[in-house]
Amino acid sequence: MPRNTIDRLDKPSTYAMSKKRRRNRNRDDEQQRDQTPEFDDKLKESTTLYVGNLSFYTTEEQIHELFSKCGEIKRLVMGLDRFQKTPCGFCFVEYYTHQDALDCMKYIGGTKLDERVIRTDLDEGFEEGRQYGRGRSGGQVRDEYRDEFDPGRGGFGRAYADEYD
Amino acid sequence: MDTRLDGIDDRRGGGDRGRNRGNNKRRRDDDDDGQHYRPGPGDDRRGPQRRRRDNPPPPRRYEEPAVAAVRRRLVKIASSTKLPEDEVIEIAEYIRDHYDEEDAQKEFFDVLVGVVVEQPLKIPFVAAVIFYANQINADITVEAMKRVGDRLQKALKAGQWKEFKLLLRFFACLQPVFEDDGIFTFLGQLFDTVVDLQSANENDVVGIELVKIILLTIPYALASGGRRFHEKARELLDSTGIVAGNTLPMEAYIHPYDSESEEKVIGYHSVIGLLQQQLTAEAQSGWELSCIPKFDVDAVRKKNPEGTLPEAPATYPFPTFTIPSPVNPGPKPLFPEAYFSLFADQEFGTVPRTTEIASSIIRDAIVDTIELLDYNRDEVAKLLVDLDCYWSLHTFAKRGIPFDKFRESVGDKVMYKSEDMVIDAIFSMLFKLPTPEHKLVYFHCLITQCCKVAPAAIAPSLGRAIRTIYKSIHVMDLELTYRFLDWFSHHLSNFEFRWRWAEWVEDLQLSNLHPKKAFIIAALDKEIRLSFAKRIRSTLPEDMHPLIPKRLDEDNSPDFKYENPETPYATEGQTLLVQLRKKASHDDIQQTIDQIHDQAAERGITDVLVPSTDAFVTAICRLGAKSLSHVLSCIERGKERLLNIAQTSESARRQIVASVIEYWKDQPGVAVRIIDILLNYTVLAPITVVQWVFEDYVGAGGALAESWVFEVVFNTVAKVSNRNRQIVSARIQQGLPPEQVEMVEGTLNRDRRGAREMFGYIEDTVRGIAGGANDRLIENETNGELSAEESRLIRAWGKRWLTVFIRKAAVEESVVGEESVEAKLRLLAAQADAEPEAMQLQEANGVAKAENGDEDML
Repeated sequence: MPRNTIDRLDKPSTYAMSKKRRRNRNRDDEQQRDQTPEFDDKLKESTTLYVGNLSFYTTEEQIHELFSKCGEIKRLVMGLDRFQKTPCGFCFVEYYTHQDALDCMKYIGGTKLDERVIRTDLDEGFEEGRQYGRGRSGGQVRDEYRDEFDPGRGGFGRAYADEYD
Repeated sequence: MDTRLDGIDDRRGGGDRGRNRGNNKRRRDDDDDGQHYRPGPGDDRRGPQRRRRDNPPPPRRYEEPAVAAVRRRLVKIASSTKLPEDEVIEIAEYIRDHYDEEDAQKEFFDVLVGVVVEQPLKIPFVAAVIFYANQINADITVEAMKRVGDRLQKALKAGQWKEFKLLLRFFACLQPVFEDDGIFTFLGQLFDTVVDLQSANENDVVGIELVKIILLTIPYALASGGRRFHEKARELLDSTGIVAGNTLPMEAYIHPYDSESEEKVIGYHSVIGLLQQQLTAEAQSGWELSCIPKFDVDAVRKKNPEGTLPEAPATYPFPTFTIPSPVNPGPKPLFPEAYFSLFADQEFGTVPRTTEIASSIIRDAIVDTIELLDYNRDEVAKLLVDLDCYWSLHTFAKRGIPFDKFRESVGDKVMYKSEDMVIDAIFSMLFKLPTPEHKLVYFHCLITQCCKVAPAAIAPSLGRAIRTIYKSIHVMDLELTYRFLDWFSHHLSNFEFRWRWAEWVEDLQLSNLHPKKAFIIAALDKEIRLSFAKRIRSTLPEDMHPLIPKRLDEDNSPDFKYENPETPYATEGQTLLVQLRKKASHDDIQQTIDQIHDQAAERGITDVLVPSTDAFVTAICRLGAKSLSHVLSCIERGKERLLNIAQTSESARRQIVASVIEYWKDQPGVAVRIIDILLNYTVLAPITVVQWVFEDYVGAGGALAESWVFEVVFNTVAKVSNRNRQIVSARIQQGLPPEQVEMVEGTLNRDRRGAREMFGYIEDTVRGIAGGANDRLIENETNGELSAEESRLIRAWGKRWLTVFIRKAAVEESVVGEESVEAKLRLLAAQADAEPEAMQLQEANGVAKAENGDEDML
């Protein structure tokens, strides 16, 4: 199939791709790059999306309401603060088909939910443990050092919380 | 052929054409002679912000490789401030100059085909490149025709009708380079095929599609070919008339508005019927076809007066294409199409009237652009906002002229408002019956995107569209009303829920049964689902606040009715909740349930399972109220008991639905989701849900006005239909082993019967309400519980429901019915015979997927 005449919005983001590259680089010692296609394949059939930039207050119901416009949702996993076990602004949405996931990239990524522009990215598939934030204080890393105030995501970055208190 | 365009300034120059004064950003200053990427002093026209969002130019001091240049130039054709004719000739010269560079040559033809099948608005322009190329290096034209022709043949073989239409359009735009009648001979052959199809089956839809393609090709062939072919076109039109004027039974179901109503926004027009009329009218007025861009045949010669060019450019016989027999209807089910427009029949013509050919030609190109490029809504929005670039000068007025100034500013010239045409086209796709071409949410996000690209120009058009729809919402098809509702609430959620509700405030006095009031109520519910009650209330005028009950503001779960000691079985209900929370054993729970049964028996209740089910399901809802995940895990744990209940008693089965709805009555969205989960777990059968709705809930019919009731039934029916379609596609496979054939057919027969029963049941019930024959309705009319007006409104709802579900039933029948499945199997067999080699190859690989049937044809 020849290239499209314009760019596609349903490609994995540079983040997902850089993750792949990082992974490949780590393996370079042992084997050649081309021999590790699993990640590519996973994304090619992926039915799961990572959804980011959610407000901490956005509920599963709201996410369902929006994301089911692209197809029936098989599973929804809310991203949680590792310590508090409260929503920390991301989730994984799993559809039944790859096409639904692609459509979601095209039609829902970059639109608003709960009045925030949300980000979607093709994901290799949810695994237990990935629902927790990886930041030092339990949430997502990006919420540690943010220096502008975001009322939907806990105010200022948590690393600076003391200074602002 | 037309002469050169003049007045370029007016066309794309510095004027403010509505892109929010961002037009200077778009002004292309690349002179397309390679100097573009050279640094130069004083080259400040470009400005620092130049086209930042388009493909950024490569670093300076860098000659753009030809391979990149041909792509960029073809893809961006006609979107600059350049005069199209000059730009087109420059591209032709550029490829002539780089034709010996293998990669550039390959890229050129790849992109050419790509633009034709992906960006229909640009077809006349890329075709013009090939037309002029014929005069400076005929090899380019020969190769282009071969490449486009190969793709066309594949599309024809695979029944890829849209692609076929566009590739054919490319040839139509090259009409002057063909010998004799050129494309008209082939169009004649296509029509012969239509005749064969129609004589084999008078309700054939493939023939309709072919006629549409023929009719949409004629204008382009005449615009390029000129006067010489007028007679040919007339002859062809004479023969298509009968087919185009024919009405298929399916057409009765795809009217966007109640045709009997005077308040409809647009009457029913079939797309091909309209095309036929418009072309006939155009023939009478001498085929002006003013909107299609035209190119001067002698432009190259005028540019090279020294006479270095060959005397007469080469001409060619029209390529030969094979029309397969039987014709492959293609992968998608085909239906007749209605022409929809919100603005066409309005008093102030901002868009072409339905009598004008421009309405069909421009609409067709917009719709195809939107459909084909669904993978990048940002680019689609840009193309649409630039719509005027792709049509002949003076087709459109300047961008962004406010509606109230439009007439005055255009005067008595025929000019269109591009924003209105874009919005009109998107709504026609959102409102396409029986099924839209893409998921509806695509159109939602596209409208959002257009509003972002050109807010000042698009938003007012959108506002007028909303008001036009709302005004006649009571006579609109109910499924379309639902689509409108879903779009409207989603759209507002992307724009801070801003809407001038105040202008609808007077409709609040209407009965909740009135479609306008019902729409307002439903829209608020949908908004709340995407946001939360307090927030939505804050966006409303005070008069509307009572529509959102205060109790929704608190973050609490809905009340658990067994907490009220007055409620029968209160103690047991509470015990059940505690037991479920503590994950008590099956026996412990059974003990509580038995207590309910004993008490119920004492009270003389016939089916004791009903109150115990109510307590059990309500407790699950209460425990799961925190989030969908919670309720999901509660259902998971109670699944066995629920399945048992469902198998034991019909009334208890329906009680499951009743309890869920009752618990979530203030937030029907959650109830709808839980019902959906229960259907997936097969705790509930689709027919149970439907029966509960009509027998236990709808009663005298008033509930038909509640949007979520429609949603529940609609979703349930969709689930059944999807499943049947999946079974059919499992059946339509090459080389399915006999034992599997038997199994699949068994399942199909059973499920098809189930679906027919369900449709029959819905139809009977709503027909009773529509005709006023429903017992409860009659009773409430007689005892005065319903006023005459209310009763009239309820019947009208019945009628609207009836239309939707009769259509659904007919569509499913046409896709999964015996006749359709047999036809598909015959085609499959014919393909297998025709392509034994492909078959062997497939078997050798051990691949036999359903989709392969189509892929092989490619």
